[in-house]
Amino acid sequence: MSPLAIDQILDGRRSQPDQLIEVLHDVQEKDGYIPEEAMQAVSQGLGVPIMEVYRVASFYKAFRLKPAGKNVLTICMGTACHVRGARLLLDQATGQLGIELGDVTPDGLFSIERVNCLGTCALGPIVTENETYHHHVTPGKLRKLIDTIGGQQPEETQHAQTQ
Amino acid sequence: MPRLNSHRELEHLREQIREQRENITTTIMLCGGPGCQASQSQTVVEAFREELSQQGLDSSVRLRVTGCQGFCEQGPVMVIEPGNIFYCKVSPEDAFEIVHQTVIKGELIERLLYEDPVSGERVKTESEVPFYRAQNQQILSQNRLVDPLSIEDYIAAGGYSALVRALNGVSPESIIGEIKASGLRGRGGGGFPTGRKWAECSEAPGDEKYVICNADEGDPGAYMDRAVLEGNPHLVLEGMMIGARAVGAQKGYIYVRNEYPLAVKHSRIAVDQARELGLLGDNILGSSFSFDVAIARGGGAFVCGESTALMASIEGKVGEPRAKDVHTVVDGLFHKPTVLNNVETWANVPSIISNGSSSFASIGTESSKGTKILALTGRIKNTGLVEVPMGTSIREVVFDIGGGGINGNSIKAVQTGGPSGGCLPVEKFDLPLDFDVLSEAGSMIGSGGMVVMDEASCMVDVAKYFLTFLQDESCGNCLPCRVGIDRMLEMITDITEGRGTPGQLDLLAELGETISETALCGLGKTAPNPVLSTLRYFRSEYEAHINENKCPAGVCKALITYSIDPDRCNGCGVCLKGCVYQAITGEKKQPHVIDVQLCQKCGICRSECKFDAIQVV
Amino acid sequence: MQQYVNVNIDGAIIRAIRGTSVLDTAIEYGICIPHLCHVPGLTDIGACRLCIVEHVVNGRSKVTTSCTLNVEEGMVILTSTDKIRKLRHNLAELLVAQAPNSRAIQDIAVRCGVTSVRYPFRNADCVLCGRCVRTCTEIWKARAIGFVGRGKDRHVDYPFGIQPEFCKQCNNCIQICPMTITPCNGPMKPGEEYLCGQCESQLIVADETPGSCVWCELGEGFACGRYA
Repeated sequence: MSPLAIDQILDGRRSQPDQLIEVLHDVQEKDGYIPEEAMQAVSQGLGVPIMEVYRVASFYKAFRLKPAGKNVLTICMGTACHVRGARLLLDQATGQLGIELGDVTPDGLFSIERVNCLGTCALGPIVTENETYHHHVTPGKLRKLIDTIGGQQPEETQHAQTQ
Repeated sequence: MPRLNSHRELEHLREQIREQRENITTTIMLCGGPGCQASQSQTVVEAFREELSQQGLDSSVRLRVTGCQGFCEQGPVMVIEPGNIFYCKVSPEDAFEIVHQTVIKGELIERLLYEDPVSGERVKTESEVPFYRAQNQQILSQNRLVDPLSIEDYIAAGGYSALVRALNGVSPESIIGEIKASGLRGRGGGGFPTGRKWAECSEAPGDEKYVICNADEGDPGAYMDRAVLEGNPHLVLEGMMIGARAVGAQKGYIYVRNEYPLAVKHSRIAVDQARELGLLGDNILGSSFSFDVAIARGGGAFVCGESTALMASIEGKVGEPRAKDVHTVVDGLFHKPTVLNNVETWANVPSIISNGSSSFASIGTESSKGTKILALTGRIKNTGLVEVPMGTSIREVVFDIGGGGINGNSIKAVQTGGPSGGCLPVEKFDLPLDFDVLSEAGSMIGSGGMVVMDEASCMVDVAKYFLTFLQDESCGNCLPCRVGIDRMLEMITDITEGRGTPGQLDLLAELGETISETALCGLGKTAPNPVLSTLRYFRSEYEAHINENKCPAGVCKALITYSIDPDRCNGCGVCLKGCVYQAITGEKKQPHVIDVQLCQKCGICRSECKFDAIQVV
Repeated sequence: MQQYVNVNIDGAIIRAIRGTSVLDTAIEYGICIPHLCHVPGLTDIGACRLCIVEHVVNGRSKVTTSCTLNVEEGMVILTSTDKIRKLRHNLAELLVAQAPNSRAIQDIAVRCGVTSVRYPFRNADCVLCGRCVRTCTEIWKARAIGFVGRGKDRHVDYPFGIQPEFCKQCNNCIQICPMTITPCNGPMKPGEEYLCGQCESQLIVADETPGSCVWCELGEGFACGRYA
């Protein structure tokens, strides 16, 4: 992140330690994550010790300390989604992509995240792919979604012999 | 719009807006809540806009995109006035027909009407839909009256008249008296009497005071605060203004979950609009009262629902609760006296001031007054937001409004109160929604999440789910919460993976009690509830896992096997192609077989099979 | 000017300095309340919960930590009821199961009557008492270490995991750490952890006169008020 961009974000908020979380949100909105240099600059700008900045950034789940993949699959793990089988979706995503929750695939194409509730419980289980909502997701649907985004043709499973 | 300098100018503005709208003959109220948005309601909106403008109906038909109307399951939903016509599962393609048939000719479109699953008949109006019929929507109904981005809508619907009342003629003491008399209790979980909280803050020494709206709805399976703040942000703001006036606060914060981008956006816009009109800022409506509101975004931490952690978070710090030997009404945000209420509590305030405490207190039970919004979700037919009078039985909510289990499954339990609450079995469904009654039964109303579970839900797995959640969400400061929950989870994991021992059940209960007694904050103290309540009501399920190595609901992966019912399988081959692990074999048109050694229990075959032939035992 | 209040701790009426905690007051008057994260002169964070007491208000008792509770006129405190001893036992059991490789924590477990542990041992090298963090922050004003992460991921670390230039290298964080105070003689090899029982003499005293101060070695190492 350029010093200019940080300056813009800090503008009007310098030396206001209570603005730390708001400022970190803005940094992340711009960059997708919060790089170390940004934290150093925020520490200077707000007058908050770097230890405290790092601590806050590591405490709140909203903040990413490393870049996310191009496609962020967020699996809602709210109670309603859970009782409708969200766990299987998490297993599906991690198994299919071969990465752990919170990690990025080596090609940078995917990362898997979880959220505790998206507040669309009525339509669970929910998976969002970047900003797009997918509702009533099943392991099969998720697998096809990942295949499609990954550029592979999903296997033709729909119209097998149906006699 | 010019700044309003007196309540007369506000009334004048109200008249003006109403006059401007006199020529509107039809209003289409299309739900733009998160549930309906997930069902692509945005494309429906665009289709309507286009069709209405093509027909030249822009000025006589008002398309109002509202906040959540509640019946998410049937989304996108809409109501057309006059006539109270209710259409559900509306698609962009339907816009043309609705405009031509219903709006222009006044004819109903049969296929878009809701079909009552019991009688099989199509229901014409919203008020006749069983899901709505059994409700008493005091707050949610207001969502339909306003476009959340329009302060004019809110003012036209009578908004900010409670504020006028609070500024003229009613003293801060009588506002507090009115709230006390109404019997309003906090809707965020604790159920603390709101009037008492305000009184204590008002009496606390100091000139600098704060009010906070907690919109950090962290409970998984709950979204009523989201619906209210997103759908009617001015209602919440007006409540906060009245509260600030009552306790003498000059500044307020809305602490809103960053995972709710619409709520952040709508509350920001609402604050700007109110500021522009002079409803926020110095000398509001020409009075001596000055008050402003800032939006603080949450960082994604459930523990920030705890008052001291929330306040630390607004101060830009780590959301760690502190020991509350001095209450936040005396020593709160920035160490100043602070009133913290959640969205729904604030939203109840304006009508209490406008209509008087007795009308609020006429609804509900002896100790719990008014209505409560519930998020009815899980393994149930009609999911969505529901608002019922306090005292309504769980049975009415789950069966009359919720319509019972999905696929005809029998309902086993309901989880109320989120991670701090508990699971109540179906035998307890006659209990009324009442703060005290539910907490005696080992659960709580909490913020109003109601997740319904049926025979396919494993109660041990549910307990494990909550422990996993809490282990992640604990701030980690105090030993019983951090290590205690971890140890409980360790034992429950043993049980769900077939390594459980009978002695672990007693140890779970004992450790649970220890955590409840000794943890620092509310999160820790209530963390064992999901385990303690399931142990209390569903001990046999735990015992089946331990003694028989079986998960009766077929959920716990280590204890189940997948198989194919040869009578149901017609050999279509969908499962065979879908299986990543090549665990399924079989000839075309012959029943297939699962190799249990290869099967990873991923669930794909089960979700793909159209004949319900995959069995889990 | 110092102001005094009268508090009742375990039946003894004590004239305590207003503004001090119940724990400090009790220790000052020889009533030993087991504690770990509390260090005189540092802010109390109520992390270990071992110093829980019953605070009786209007006939109803509330369990709370004495380190975060300030004395008030007429306050009634019970430090060693059956209920408190049971809860404290369970807490100490959680603690020692987490870090049996610390002499200090083994001592605490014994003082709280833990003779066996019902959980699998873990060989954690930190129990997150936060003594080091507070020493660094409050005494040395260095802020070179702090708590990072939350929940089960919470740990003590430098910013970005790298020792910063502004660390004063005073080593106080190490000296005050319960994992390094008088290392235990018992061999605590991973997988072979046990309650070492070296402290059984203390156990006898603790059994015979529950709740009284035994001038334990632990107290000396931790700069308990008795040794100050």
